[in-house]
Amino acid sequence: MASYATLQIERRGPVGWLVFDRPDVGNAMDATMFAELEAAWRELDRDPDVRVIVNTGNGPSFQTGLDVAQLSRDKDALREQSHRTRDADLRLTAWHNQVWKPVIAAVNGVCAGGGLHFVADADVVIAASDARFVDPHVSLGQVSAYETIGLVRKSPMEPIMRMALAGVHERLDPHRARQLGILSQVVDPPERLRDEAQQLGEKIGRNSPAAMRVTKQALWGALELGLTDANRAGGRALVSMWGHPDQEEGPRAFAEKRDPVWQPLEPHERTTA
Amino acid sequence: MTYPQFECLKVERRGPVGWLINNRPDRLNAMSAKMRDEFAFAWTELDRDPEVKVIVHTGEGRAFQTGVDVAEIASDGVGMERYRRSVEAFDLHFTAWHQQVWKPVITAVNGMCAGGGFHWIADADVVIAASDAEFFDPHVSIGQVVSLEAIGLIRKMPVEAVMRMAFVGRHERLSAARAYELGMISQVVDPPGQLRDEAQALAETIARNSPAAMRATKRALWGALEQGLTDACRAGAGELVSMWGHPDQEEGPQAFAEKRPPRWRDLTER
Repeated sequence: MASYATLQIERRGPVGWLVFDRPDVGNAMDATMFAELEAAWRELDRDPDVRVIVNTGNGPSFQTGLDVAQLSRDKDALREQSHRTRDADLRLTAWHNQVWKPVIAAVNGVCAGGGLHFVADADVVIAASDARFVDPHVSLGQVSAYETIGLVRKSPMEPIMRMALAGVHERLDPHRARQLGILSQVVDPPERLRDEAQQLGEKIGRNSPAAMRVTKQALWGALELGLTDANRAGGRALVSMWGHPDQEEGPRAFAEKRDPVWQPLEPHERTTA
Repeated sequence: MTYPQFECLKVERRGPVGWLINNRPDRLNAMSAKMRDEFAFAWTELDRDPEVKVIVHTGEGRAFQTGVDVAEIASDGVGMERYRRSVEAFDLHFTAWHQQVWKPVITAVNGMCAGGGFHWIADADVVIAASDAEFFDPHVSIGQVVSLEAIGLIRKMPVEAVMRMAFVGRHERLSAARAYELGMISQVVDPPGQLRDEAQALAETIARNSPAAMRATKRALWGALEQGLTDACRAGAGELVSMWGHPDQEEGPQAFAEKRPPRWRDLTER
């Protein structure tokens, strides 16, 4: 694995880890991290030994969004990011980077503002019992858009709207987030978060990589279309697996009561540069 | 700003909070033709009052709202036909969303919410309810179609719960507690008598945020219900960029750094 200044990237068994590593500043994203995120997602996506990716943070925060200290010090450093924001061409998250391996966000503490990108764009979200979700944008005179747009498509809208409009003055706790279906597991005690994430990653890692890739594409694609069109596209996705070796191997391994041996993922093409 | 007198509504301001109160308690706040016209005007009035930063909508009496005034429909010889043209053209004006009010709107459900009452649940940004509030949709029990309100709701919350209400009609009620679990509402107020105080407090909290940023945020998030995810993000980028260069965008971080409350621009100035 390449080495990064703002991220820790490693593999444990079938699980690739992408860990935000600026704990002193709440893992806020500076220009370096923006560039490294794109590179890291793609590296993990290319590595055939990585079946599932876990995304978490070092220190007391998961992720707190744009590094406003750098923004006030050196606007130029973030110019490229401003352009990407304006042009809806972000490269922060797995979804932005068209990573079709399963991605688990393991929220280890404060998840604020732009940190919600990584919750909205993950496939599975779990959180430590002391995690907190807050969207300070409007309290700082900023607009909340991308992150909360993703969330309102995936969970009940009213609580997301409330979080966006209440700003710094309210926080959502992980138990309520689980009740709302924003996440599926609260880990207590919080120190167990990484072990639980690794276990969940290994569980998911036992399934067919090719089938999961197409499944992920079909389900995220469903957020792009009306119901009937999504079903049409989903039908094409389904048929695309017919004839794939995993499609034979799965039932055979089941009948023979043994673990299936899946094909490694073929690299896929991205529609972005 | 002083508001004109309304017959079926109360409209008033308390601090930064504009209140729109359904005021036909002896009719369970059912919407007469008159009330329908007054809604259109009241939302516009509250929207253009620069002192109003957040709007709370609630009802007098034991009901929040119970839909169209069926007694009026049944007795005046005109019936639902008077609404045919506006419904066919989807040219409605009785909710904040219909009227393109981009200030935050909190619905505070004070009691029974039935049938057409769901319009103001579906079209609000934030919904809270008294612990004794109850929700049900009697349309199909009286031979009517459920459509607009439920279409709004299924875009905003789990579909099954909305379908069940639509088909069970008047024979079952959804409690405030279950509505909270489902994310239809975000707060249950107990005792119920505290509802208006809690709504005022929540509205004042929200009113501490930048009006211009909230307006763009609200547009971006409601816009997210109109199109696919990628297109919604593109449209959201437009809303986001619309704040760049706005004084609030500098003022927010500066006030934060100086540990003082921010001084926001009114929506009317720039």
